[in-house]
Amino acid sequence: MKSAYITVIGSLPIRFDIEQARALGPVIASANSNKSMSFDYATVNTETNLQDMLNSPNFRSADLLVPEKLFKKYVFFDGVTCLPDFPGLKSYDIDPEKCSPQVLSLMLSVYLKQTIVFLLGYDISNPTELTRLKSIMIANPNTKFMYICDPPRTYQLDDLDNGFCDNYIKFQELIDGAR
Amino acid sequence: MWPAMCRNRSVEILKDRPDLVDQMNKFRIKIDNVLKIICRKHFQVDGTYMMSGVRLWFESGQDCYDFIIRQPEFDWEIKPELSVMNTVTSQLQTFNVVYTPTGVTID
Repeated sequence: MKSAYITVIGSLPIRFDIEQARALGPVIASANSNKSMSFDYATVNTETNLQDMLNSPNFRSADLLVPEKLFKKYVFFDGVTCLPDFPGLKSYDIDPEKCSPQVLSLMLSVYLKQTIVFLLGYDISNPTELTRLKSIMIANPNTKFMYICDPPRTYQLDDLDNGFCDNYIKFQELIDGAR
Repeated sequence: MWPAMCRNRSVEILKDRPDLVDQMNKFRIKIDNVLKIICRKHFQVDGTYMMSGVRLWFESGQDCYDFIIRQPEFDWEIKPELSVMNTVTSQLQTFNVVYTPTGVTID
């Protein structure tokens, strides 16, 4: 059965057992910022990071999603997949080869049409990243975005109806409840 | 691609030319035997008849690369086209294979 939940790990290193989050649904990593964990999917748009991930045992079972230009270069590598043509990329002014991997992970999560997206270690300190996150949230009103962070909570997403913020304890409780 | 004399033959013609059918069957068996030697993971010689040649499916990209790169050993002609099944979109993406002096690149 298709899961309703998906977890996006952003560009910031996190201290949480991701294996537990996989009980809720697929987990998407953003490049190699958390390479000591195992994931279902990982997005990457630089060759250096891709090579590093191809050589990391924890990414061996993950689908590594890369932009088309990079995919053509690594087409014969097992586990490397071409990123889908995300709708609205041009209207967001996002270049998949230059944007941050966490934006690609976020777009992949909404592309997979899960109803609740958990954001862990998602960096919104950069205004561009915050704006892009909000744009994607607005464009997907039927998807709930749960921003998980350590206290103090952020109020940056409170102006959106489908944006919520909670801490890792609540996230753990949700995982425990789902088991 | 089929051996030159078998290429672009309609089913009607093949009915009257058992010699060509025999040659095509032998060609298919030869490919299968070679793939058994080269491939480390699953592969499949497509059973669907195509006028131009035989379509091959590889589970591993590395096996596919090895097959392409070892063509001079077998003297077969390969249509320079590579399709990859995208596991996320479930779509078949097709690219052109470009031969270079040092190997192959994908366009």
